[in-house]
Amino acid sequence: MENSNSYSPYSSSSVDSTKPSPSESSVNLSLSLTFPSTSSQRETSQDWPPIKPRLRDTLKSLCLRQRRYNTALFVKVYMEGVPIGRKLDLSTFSGYESLLENLSHMFDTSVICGNRDRKHHVLTYQDKDGDWMMVGDIPWDMFLETVRRLKITRPERC
Amino acid sequence: MNRAIKSRLSTSEMNYFPDEVIEHIFDFIASHRDRNSISLVNKSWHKIERYSRHQVFIGNCYAISPERLIRRFPCLRSLTLKGKPHFADFNLVPHEWGGFLHPWIDALAKGRVGLEELRLKRMVVSDESLELLSRSFVSFKSLVLVSCDGFTTDGLASVAANCRHLRELDLQENEIDDHRGQWLNCFPDTCTTLVSLNFACLKGETNLAALERLVARSPNLKSLKVNRAVPLEALTRLMSCAPQLVDLGVGCYENEPEPESFAKLMAAIKKCTLLRSLSGFSEVAPVCLTAFYPICENLTSLNLSYAAELQGNHLIEFVQFCKRVQRLWILDSIGDKGLEIVASSCKELQELRVFPSDPHDEEDNNTAVTEVGLVAISAGCPKLHSILYFCKQMTNEALITVARNCPNFIRFRLCILEPNKPDPITSQSLDEGFGAIVQACKGLRRLSVSGLLTDKVFLYIGMYAEQLEMLSIAFAGDTDKGMLYVLNGCKKLRKLEIRDSPFGNAALLADVGKYETMRSLWMSSCEVTLGGCKRLARNAPWLNVEIINENESGRMERNEEDEREKVDRLYLYRTVVGTRRDAPPCVTIL
Repeated sequence: MENSNSYSPYSSSSVDSTKPSPSESSVNLSLSLTFPSTSSQRETSQDWPPIKPRLRDTLKSLCLRQRRYNTALFVKVYMEGVPIGRKLDLSTFSGYESLLENLSHMFDTSVICGNRDRKHHVLTYQDKDGDWMMVGDIPWDMFLETVRRLKITRPERC
Repeated sequence: MNRAIKSRLSTSEMNYFPDEVIEHIFDFIASHRDRNSISLVNKSWHKIERYSRHQVFIGNCYAISPERLIRRFPCLRSLTLKGKPHFADFNLVPHEWGGFLHPWIDALAKGRVGLEELRLKRMVVSDESLELLSRSFVSFKSLVLVSCDGFTTDGLASVAANCRHLRELDLQENEIDDHRGQWLNCFPDTCTTLVSLNFACLKGETNLAALERLVARSPNLKSLKVNRAVPLEALTRLMSCAPQLVDLGVGCYENEPEPESFAKLMAAIKKCTLLRSLSGFSEVAPVCLTAFYPICENLTSLNLSYAAELQGNHLIEFVQFCKRVQRLWILDSIGDKGLEIVASSCKELQELRVFPSDPHDEEDNNTAVTEVGLVAISAGCPKLHSILYFCKQMTNEALITVARNCPNFIRFRLCILEPNKPDPITSQSLDEGFGAIVQACKGLRRLSVSGLLTDKVFLYIGMYAEQLEMLSIAFAGDTDKGMLYVLNGCKKLRKLEIRDSPFGNAALLADVGKYETMRSLWMSSCEVTLGGCKRLARNAPWLNVEIINENESGRMERNEEDEREKVDRLYLYRTVVGTRRDAPPCVTIL
């Protein structure tokens, strides 16, 4: 894979301007060190830095997951009977516990998941099919993919 | 003992002792190097040593043939074999290059060797070999596979089913085709001898019920490392029936656990008072690490290098309480600040490895470590002797300070993520810094260098690194002189691996005899040419000189064979059995 920074062994397709340009470096450019990767299709090198495949894979999948979650996930939250809703970035929570804690704080009342209860406010959500469901039945990751809006029900309703 | 008697106990005198006595004395000599030495004393000792040798270490499986090994050591019980060269770990060696286990198992079985332990590194293992192994050696006890590939869980099933006295099945970093079968079910109900079970590298689902039953009937189980398919509740149950565990590898828990499950986990952990070593934690919610607070003070070994989800503060919060930790493997997300805390808390630290969490600098999070962390560790941890450190940058001043603080390094491996990076403060090369390291650390056996380096660093290495056995070079040096300084200077050098450095034929050919004293030499993306390699092969028939080509058909297409053409990858090694016959098309042996 040809690149203007011929001494730099790995590179993405755009030249990174924060890295020293050839004229600043004291490297002898006539060395023309070749791009180390044996597969020219890959954007980043598979053989540098020298880490083992299992670590490389672990970091790659983490990177992909983080990219997915780094985009904010704002949803509307309504408390039943209250016309004005709130907006919440779900990507900032690590699970149902922290979500409930935050909602309880935000609406100054106890909000729970799951079981129908005459006393507490129960959290429900509208999924991508448009159906209203109880929060807490599916794994958190899956929940993030399908949730469209949240509603905190009044105790009697459920 | 008075002098007169002492002077009479020469070798020839010793031979008046019956063989059993000499053999008994030899029993105290465990190191294979010492045993190699005593076998050279005289014929009698050679013979006695041969028959009493139970443990053999073969650093390069192509240096000798299985038949010759068995002829010499017929009473072999424990064998260690290494196959592919080290850089195979970093995708620089094709999968089919070689290092096949089968011929060894075949020969050992035919020779009726009473094999009990087999330890393999970077070998190609097949299900057939594992099956043959499981059926051929009645007393087989221990199988350790590190960075191997070529087999599936079906092979594991054979081992589980047929090795009646299996104590250890340790799979580290292997590429195993997971058939999601029932290999764990294949351990017979009568199998109660397991001491160590590690299947952390398996990617598929695990039969939890079978695993729990197996653990429940293994009272001697000391080490258990599960894969990511073992969820929190299952781990809790496993720990509850194995509170005697010393070494635990934890699975994966993406979601935050229910408070009840978490409480149960903590209760189970509290009962594991013998737990000393912890690893795993890939994809865990940070709170799961806190469940281990009750025992963290007891830990001597902690491997969080796969815990990519944990952020710096989570790591710091945990590690600072691991006051007895001797071996710590961690990601650089711990940061320089985190390493400063480690330096002040972990005074028993002997070995530290800091891996890059962002190897290609794709995220803008600035959490990589720098020279600051390394200096702090060197100042705070007096027992430190081994380090592997991936960092953003390094300075000469820091390295000089580290050398002064820690003259006891045996292994010093530094990898600055950006190749050819100079000292960011002075813009100079890091020759002086590494020079200080080799000068101060008189016992240094393994060294990896990185950053901007000229021939000078190799002059220092050749001059001062008297005990150096393994050297790794990447993107360093200016001329052939660099490599020559090393070859001429380092008398104890055994393994030299070089990539992307301007060393050529002159350095390669200067002292051909040197390679007889070494196990192997690797050179990739350097300046050596086909002509140079051919000359080397002609002058040194006791070496296997292998050229590994880019593509499989490389050898076939090269009709013109331009001798001036640069060799992509060269791997040469001494051998007593000549050219191997199992090389694939992409490998040319000269």
